[in-house]
Parts: sequence; structure tokens; C-alpha cells
Amino acid sequence: MVDPPYLTETETIWLLDIPSVSVSEDSEDAETVKERNNAYTELCKNRQGNDKYVERSMQTFNGALKTKEVECDSIAMVDKAAMSTIWDMYDSFSNKSDASGNTVVSDQGNKADVPDSSSSMRDLNPKSPEQSMFSGSSTQLEKMACVLLVEEEPDHELILQSDKLKQDLAVMERVILANIFQPKLAAYRQLPVIEDCVQMAMGSKNSPSPFLEHLWAFECELTKGRNVTSMTWNKKNPDLLAVGYGQLDFKDHQSGLVCCWSLKNPMWPDRIFHCESGVTALDFSACNANQLAVGMYDGTIAIYDVQAKEQTPIIDSSDCANMHMCPVWQLRWIDHESGLAGEDKGEILISVSADGRICKYLMKLKTPNMTTNRQQWNSTISPLSPGLCFDFHSNDSNIYLAGTDDGYIHKCSYLYDDEFLETYKAHKGPVYKVTWSPFCPDVFLSCSSDWTIQLWRQDLQKPVLCFTSGQKAVYDIMWSPHCATVFGAVSEGKVEIWDLRISSLEPAIVSVTCPGVNPTALLFTSETDCVLVGDSEGKVTVYKLKNLTDGGSTQVETLEDVIQSTLSGQH
Amino acid sequence: MSIIDNSLKRILRYPGVIGYIIFNKEGIPIRTGLDNATAVKYVGLLNQLIMTTRSTIRDIDPQDDVKLLRIWTQKYEIMVATEEEYLMIVIQKPTE
Repeated sequence: MVDPPYLTETETIWLLDIPSVSVSEDSEDAETVKERNNAYTELCKNRQGNDKYVERSMQTFNGALKTKEVECDSIAMVDKAAMSTIWDMYDSFSNKSDASGNTVVSDQGNKADVPDSSSSMRDLNPKSPEQSMFSGSSTQLEKMACVLLVEEEPDHELILQSDKLKQDLAVMERVILANIFQPKLAAYRQLPVIEDCVQMAMGSKNSPSPFLEHLWAFECELTKGRNVTSMTWNKKNPDLLAVGYGQLDFKDHQSGLVCCWSLKNPMWPDRIFHCESGVTALDFSACNANQLAVGMYDGTIAIYDVQAKEQTPIIDSSDCANMHMCPVWQLRWIDHESGLAGEDKGEILISVSADGRICKYLMKLKTPNMTTNRQQWNSTISPLSPGLCFDFHSNDSNIYLAGTDDGYIHKCSYLYDDEFLETYKAHKGPVYKVTWSPFCPDVFLSCSSDWTIQLWRQDLQKPVLCFTSGQKAVYDIMWSPHCATVFGAVSEGKVEIWDLRISSLEPAIVSVTCPGVNPTALLFTSETDCVLVGDSEGKVTVYKLKNLTDGGSTQVETLEDVIQSTLSGQH
Repeated sequence: MSIIDNSLKRILRYPGVIGYIIFNKEGIPIRTGLDNATAVKYVGLLNQLIMTTRSTIRDIDPQDDVKLLRIWTQKYEIMVATEEEYLMIVIQKPTE
């Protein structure tokens, strides 16, 4: 323990003492000071002629001046600057690899004075430009340490083969094409179009009647001359379109082709798959959106993975017992919630082929790489008539319709193999397509080579309405996904869009194709009001439906009214 | 290699495309669809611009980097795709 500190006072230390020169009149010395002042003034008065005082002057020497000069060495001025950007500091702290250290320093290419630090570098790398800036990061130290042997050729090869270059090229291609096709793609996406002022002044030339506006065509030299047989949209990505090319009749045996087109690139497909025989049917899976099932002219069914880079299918049906021997005309992935004996959960693939059978395929994964195809159930429509098309009911997935070569449409159930529930006989030629209406659950449409399209209600044996226009076989029909009264049809040389609100005797829009070119496939888009038409020259043209009256709602009541009025008119 | 060559040939054929240049980080063209003099000119000038752009973007967030730079001029559009090892420039005349 320390004793508490003592405080003592030192002597007073005088720092400055200026005595005053004036004295107050009240002080004691005032009298003496006054007397002395008076004595002094007397003295000054007496000084004038007095002998006691003598005036003298003096002179001092001025020192001689001499100039002196001093000189020192010139100081060399050097410009030095250091760049400290945020990324530079980040890079040096995260300590990037040696190779990239070169890029930071050598690319600041300005000719300037040479600082001492870069003179040694100049000897090592005569090509890098001289600089006055250096970055104070660790990369510079590393650069001085490593020997810069720049090997040009392997470097170039590496770059040209890198994946990044492929990706960048793909992006660049899409950017270029977006520039070229921008107005068409904007029209496709239903963005409002700014009318040209000149056109508006002249009075709009739009006729009030509906028509098809040509937007663009998917084609490239690979597809020239090939016949488009089927088209389908991807279930997950509405911009991805798969198109199958093959032959429809026995005549020319071409090898088949499946192209996956993206809306972002109308001039070259994103994926190309070559198949051995012509492609006749396509469908994308809804569960695994990258799986594409392809049915071919020789009866093979193959499943391709669209995401993978390989050109070969993941699995095909060539090693499957009871596979089809005849062309597979239609394929569909169906999702069954209720299964037979609990096995059929998940998606199954159903196909119809010209040998009269509808087959079901199940994909089972044994190991992650291997899948086996097992066929479990098939129903024979009739051993004599080839099946051409089928459609499962959207609400009740056990009921489906099948169209055959002899003009009959059979309604069958998934649960009973042996018998049909009903048969609809009206067509006089092979039924090419049968499709349920997406809005009215009882109504379906069928088209055939007997020049007619028939509208049926599932409880009536006779068709409700029959549409004929022209004397050519109708190859493909599809209900519009937006409006219950609109459907499209494709026949030899013509594309027709029917609207039952306007007329049931004539199509609302008829578009005649160039002579010699036949449209063979039709597809509506679910998001926008466009329709795609594939033709026998390998082109898939995108049209926009213009001036088709938009009722606002889906017009289900209108369709039912039309049917009711027709039925009551018939009796 | 052939995929890249095919893509480059296709790009040259699209309407409006004037040319492309792929060059490495030192400014030496690896592949080009233009004549050499123009290519060297573009390379020298655009390299500077890309360095400045990259510095700007990385100053904002050091983990970010420039991927694509598009310059619309009165006559053309210049698109530059940037990577660490190389740069790719495509010049297109917009079709109007």
C-alpha cells in the first residue's frame, strides 16, 4: 500500500514582472513621483545653452556583403500511382491462382515512363506494354516470380474447345436472332403493337374479317423436303416445340428426324435426333418434362432425353416382347391416379399402331441408369382394322376413344379389354384424328379422309354436326384451347379455322397454301392465340389468329346452344 | 470443334450479321470473320472498354462479373461476350 500523496506549496515563481509606469494619485508615492517629474522638466529646460551638456555623434561600420551560391543534385521526379479498386483487394485476399495474375497487370496498356519495378518484367515479357501503374496486390509479386512462357497454339485450342465458348456462342446466336425476329416474337407474345403513323393516317387496311397472319417459319436445311408428321409442345416449357419428320405413306422410306425447336431460335433447332425410320408420333412426358417419346414407322418406340447431349435414346422398345410391327400412329403419356392393383401409379405411355392394338408401356427403373420396358396390357381393337388415333377423356382417364381405318370410332374403357362400350359409325373412310373437347366433357370431334369433320356427343349414335369444305381428306384437327367453339383443321392444300359462333357451314378462316405444298399437321398454342402448321416441305409456320371474335369467356354455353339448336332442328 | 465451327458459320449467314471476332485475353484474334485490319482495330478499342466495364461491375460487387455487353450505335449493334480467357465480338446491322 502506497501512502496517500501530499500536496505542498512551493515558493512563488515569478515569470514576468512588468512594473507599471504610472502611479495612482491616491497612493503614498504620488508626491515623490510628482516632485521627481517636476525636477526632470526643470533639467530639460536648463539643458539648452548649458555647458554641462555636449552633443556628439558616432558612426558604426557596415559589414561588407558577399554573395554565396549553393548547388544540390537534381531530384528525379517519378510518377507513381497505385490502383486499389474493391475487386483488386478482393482478389488479393481470396488469393486467386497464379495463372490469372498475369491478366491483372499486363492489360493496362498505356505507354508511359518506366518505373523501376517493371523494368525487370520487361525483360521477361517483351510483348506486354510498359506502364506507369502497378497494382499493389499479391498478383504482381507472383508475376515476378513465375516465368512467362506464353504458348500460343495450345491456348487457342483450349479456348476453342471449352464449354464456355459453346454456351456463349449459343447465347450470342439467340441475341442475334432476337434482334432479327423481334417484331414477330413480340406479336406472338401478344405485346401491343405500335402502329406506324403513316399507316394509321392512310386508314387501316385491316379488313374486319378474320385471317391468319404469317409470323415466321421454323425451317433449316436439315428439314428441307421432309414431311412434318407430328408436333407437340413441351409440358413444362411452353417455348419448346418438338417436331417429328417422317413419311405418312408407304412410298418413300426416309430416315426420320426429330427436332426440338425453341422459340428463341427459329433458324436452327436446339436438338436434333436422327432416327432410323420415319417419325410418326411424338409426345412429351408431363412428369419428367425432358422425356420425349417418339413413335416410328417401323413400330419402334424410343424415349429420348432432351436435356442430355447424347443423340441416342435412353430406351427403345426394340427388345420388348410383343412390340408393334406396324407404324405407331399416336403416342400419349397418361397419368393414372387410380391404378390396377396399385401398380400403375405414375405416368404410362400408351400407343396405337396399325396392327390394331393399343399398348401400354411402363417404365421401371431398376438402377439409376437402366430402365426396362414392360408391356403389361394391350387391347385389341380388332385384328382386322388398323387403329389410327385415340384420345383419353380429360376428366375420366379410364375412358378413351379410338379411331380405326374402317371409319369406326370405338369408345372403350381402360378397365375392360374385351369389349367396346360403344361404337360410332358415320365416317366412310379412315378416321385420322379423334379429340375430346377441352371444355365440354361430352363432345368430341373426328376427322377422316372422307372429306368430313364430325362433331359428336358421347350419348348419341349419330353425329350432331358435320362439316365439309372442299373435297379433300382432312388430316388433322385440333380444338382451340381458348375458345370452345373454335377448332382448326388441315386438309390437302388448305388450313381452315372453324368458328361455330359464326357459321357451321363454312370455316371462319381459310388459308390456301402454295401449290404443291400440303399442310400435314396442326397445333394450337396454349398461351397465345397462334397456330402452327407443319407441311410437306419441312416447314413449320407460325400464324397469328387475327380478328377472330373474342367472346371473353370460353363460350362453353355457346357450343352447347349450337348443339341443342341443331338437335332440336333435326327432330 | 465442328459444333463450334458450324455455329460460327451459321452466325455469319444470319441476316444483318457483319462479322465476328474471338480473341484471347492478350488481344490476339483466334477466329475472325472480318478482315484482319478491322479485326485488330475492334480488338484494341473494345479491349479497353471491357476492362473498364469489368472494373466498374466488380467494384460494385467483387463476386460479380460482366457477361455480355451490347452497344447500340446509330448504324450497328456490337455485342461482346466476355469470359476470363477470351472475348467474343459480333457486329450486326439491325434489320428495320
